[in-house]
Amino acid sequence: MLDHVSQLPKAAVFAPLDDGSGRVEVVVRRLAEAIALGLIADGDQLPAELELANALNVSTVTLRAALAALRERGLVETRRGRGGGTFVLAPADPSTARLRRRLRELSTSELREIGDYRSAIAGTAARLAALRASADNVTRLRQFVARLDAAASVGERRRADGRFHIEVAAAAQSVRLTRAEIDIQAEVGELLWLPYGEAVDPQEVVRSHSQVIDAIEARDPDRARSLTEEHIDKGIERLMEFHWRLVASE
Amino acid sequence: MSDRHVGQVAERVHTIVADIFSSLDRILASVVACYRASGSFASADLAAVRPEIFACLSRTHEVVAGAGVIVAPGVLADRRRWLEWWQVPPEQDPIFLDVDLDPESLDFYDYTAAEWFAVPERTRRRHIVGPYVDYGGTDTYMLTFTAPAEVDGRFLGVVGADVRAARFEALLLGVLAASPTQITLVNAEGRVVAANSPRLPAGSLLLDPGSDRLPLPEVPWSIVTSARDRAISPL
Repeated sequence: MLDHVSQLPKAAVFAPLDDGSGRVEVVVRRLAEAIALGLIADGDQLPAELELANALNVSTVTLRAALAALRERGLVETRRGRGGGTFVLAPADPSTARLRRRLRELSTSELREIGDYRSAIAGTAARLAALRASADNVTRLRQFVARLDAAASVGERRRADGRFHIEVAAAAQSVRLTRAEIDIQAEVGELLWLPYGEAVDPQEVVRSHSQVIDAIEARDPDRARSLTEEHIDKGIERLMEFHWRLVASE
Repeated sequence: MSDRHVGQVAERVHTIVADIFSSLDRILASVVACYRASGSFASADLAAVRPEIFACLSRTHEVVAGAGVIVAPGVLADRRRWLEWWQVPPEQDPIFLDVDLDPESLDFYDYTAAEWFAVPERTRRRHIVGPYVDYGGTDTYMLTFTAPAEVDGRFLGVVGADVRAARFEALLLGVLAASPTQITLVNAEGRVVAANSPRLPAGSLLLDPGSDRLPLPEVPWSIVTSARDRAISPL
């Protein structure tokens, strides 16, 4: 049991969590992500509650709340009685294995280049949008962020997020930047929105996009650009972490 | 910090690099033989070197993306400048690299100024350039390995091999991932060739290399170690 988990990923997956708020959410994310990346396989049994709580350096109350949230998301199930415990139910999404392979095989310079290029396109689009967006453009942008906020599935999130970036380029009044943004979304959208392994927490994406829109509305091009660049850097850094965890899990 | 992991990375780098240069040595021997055998050395004579170039490309399959000979100006009787350079696209036969060697042309490929040519010419030693964006020939993020060709003190040019930076990194992934602490392979200018931290993708510049810097023998690279963990944060 757990030979997957007992190897290298265990250090990363079950490493102690820093102190801070929202610990339930943090535990949920880390375990969901490990499942999404295949570091804990379908059918694997998680360590006993006390052991897992100690490993993660959280209380058993926090851990139980996190496991309840994971059960609700259908990522684990708890079996009672002899041979019971908490078991992983990996999402049966056939694209996940392909995405894992892709993320594993991309080189660090290729991942860096994806970020560099996205930064150039989206950063400039945000700057120009702050100079050129109409009130209508801003309204549309807010609609896509609202759609992202309300999205119930990873597919909906990915589409809403992609549309947001494309709309920023359209608000910049640039056909070429819009075209480039459409290509970028087609190329990396699925990596950024790995089911249960989002590169950036959806709530954080909503906050960050809202701030960009505020800067566009305030006609503050420098701020619109730098917020956009920060957001993109953060996402790429997470994809690099995923890449290294996948390498280490082999 | 683990000396064992550093030693493993150093050894792996040494093995990969030695393999590439030993392939280049064979091309080199073929160039020298070809030069000695020709009365007036002409571009057509270099056809005799092709079997060794193709052998290098197939022997180092999937590592070397291009290889050949770059001749110093004035060495060939019929051409002022000449590249006998072949590339292998994945699962295809080698393709001759055709560049513009007319000095009057806007696209003139002035290779004598390129680091991979100029450094071995000056030092008469092997050299590795990169990683760099090779926009002249391949539009790829590349490492270029070159060695000087000389006969009786006369510099004939260089023999060389291109290795995609991504491919080189892939060869080191295993030993890099095995280390719990940060290990970074940098070139002479402090640019990351390969590292195991998500904060240091290949091509980054390591601005403060610190004191734990182990220069590698025979290559212009060093291994920089850090007591820091690899910054693969849980979240």
